[in-house]
Amino acid sequence: VDTPSRVGHDVAIVSSAVVPVGRYHDELEHEMLLRPFVEAWGAIELDRSEIGAVVLANPRPYAAQRYFATFITAYLGLPVDGVVVEVLGNGMTGGLALDAAADQIRLGRARAALVLGVSRETHVPSAEHMDLVMRSVGDVDFHTPLGVTPVAWYALNATRYLSDYGYTRTDLAAIAVKNRMHASLNPIAQYGAPLTIEEVLDARPVARPLHLYDVPPRSDGAVAMVLAEATLAEQIVAQPVHLVGRGFHHEGVHQIADVPASLTRYIAAERAAEIAYADAGIGPDQIDVAEVYAPCTVVEAILSESLGLFREGEGLRAATRGETSLGGRIPISTDGGCLSRGHPPMVTPLYNVHEARLQLCGQADQRQVHDAEIALTTCELGDYNAALVHVLATRRRGEAGGGNGWRLASADPHT
Amino acid sequence: MNGPGSPYPPRDSAIVRRFLAHLAESELATTRCVSCGHTTFPPKHLCPRCWATELEWVVLTGEGCLASFTELHVVPGLFATEAPYVLGVVDLDEGVRCLARVMGCFDELSCGQRLALDFERSAAQSYLVFDVTDAP
Repeated sequence: VDTPSRVGHDVAIVSSAVVPVGRYHDELEHEMLLRPFVEAWGAIELDRSEIGAVVLANPRPYAAQRYFATFITAYLGLPVDGVVVEVLGNGMTGGLALDAAADQIRLGRARAALVLGVSRETHVPSAEHMDLVMRSVGDVDFHTPLGVTPVAWYALNATRYLSDYGYTRTDLAAIAVKNRMHASLNPIAQYGAPLTIEEVLDARPVARPLHLYDVPPRSDGAVAMVLAEATLAEQIVAQPVHLVGRGFHHEGVHQIADVPASLTRYIAAERAAEIAYADAGIGPDQIDVAEVYAPCTVVEAILSESLGLFREGEGLRAATRGETSLGGRIPISTDGGCLSRGHPPMVTPLYNVHEARLQLCGQADQRQVHDAEIALTTCELGDYNAALVHVLATRRRGEAGGGNGWRLASADPHT
Repeated sequence: MNGPGSPYPPRDSAIVRRFLAHLAESELATTRCVSCGHTTFPPKHLCPRCWATELEWVVLTGEGCLASFTELHVVPGLFATEAPYVLGVVDLDEGVRCLARVMGCFDELSCGQRLALDFERSAAQSYLVFDVTDAP
């Protein structure tokens, strides 16, 4: 992979906050969002006139307030010179919001930027909600009439993955149990009570071979984040988290290719990760912790291979051996992931980035990965038909050193 | 032959009408690019491989292999009375992949199994329905 050309200013996250993932039936979207905003802004000292961009992850269509970005900017009484915009990309929405805000800083249109997102849907009954989302995860004329669901596509991955590599549902259950264990250490997780392999196996089927604990709960959540140009960030906070690598790929497919293709590889994630690693000047072996967008057990297994952390077909075995648990070789989803932290889809990518920031700042308490210096986050849309990968680090690109010997590439790869 | 049809039927359009008209004649039809020969499913107005806009309708055998499958128990409200049902990824012998309903029990299906289109059911439902065949 050629190193992506990099223009403009370096960007860092200086603050972030979230509400506990759960069900918010008595609070409206903007009320949910104000809580993390006040917390994230209160944690830093920055003149609000420095904010040149407000980027909002598009809320669910159930939000009565439309064009939420301009509404919330007015609620904050914030004049802005760069841009005020909301972005949408299904499960990738939160990641694209981070990207869009960072770009405003890279381009010099903003010195600091707000990334905001709220995803509220649990007040709508599941069956009614699925009547809507079935139209997002397929061609409405040729797939939706079949009664397809978002989880169905991952289940199709699962059947083939288990069949090709000789795994069983018991193996998949290891990921659900591991993520629940991680969530039990995370105060903002939706589900923290212990979960056993037997409970995972005995749960009711959702989309076989995936059962209740193989798939995400329905969740509401809200996240606020403050980004700043790297030099400004270093003046504001002791531990800015630098965005040092970014990769994106859309494979030109909506859920299903029109020719036979692998159902056990996420090609878009492979490509996006390659680009992100090249951008950061690192390899997958230098990742200390991965906060991934994995709505189902099988997705985390396949994705761990796509990201180059394990060989093809080995991701699930590694999980059953504890290699992706806290204390393992490469901890994945230390916050409990989509399965147990919870999955408010439009902001799930921002929850992942928030956990990555806590890990890199040494603020993850009992979930802390020792000396974490480089973290990876992912998000996706479709059946990982598109992927967005970010590499975050405690230091800027080009800054050498580090306890585990990593060194980020210099800003100019040719020097 | 009247079936209940899909609770969320395809929209009325020239492409959908043509596709359903073929199904009613017990034919699985889709579009192929006149310029590069790429066959697409679903049928399209533009070739995704070369962006040519001259496409022709071709009739496929309706036979292929089961690449993967799932049995849905939690389904959209509109489909509640149909659950559980099996969806499969079907690789047709002409090298075309499609999503379809598969008649059969989840526990008795396996990847790689041979399938054939059930024209009668497909025409009645306005979507593709496959049966398992004994053919190798």
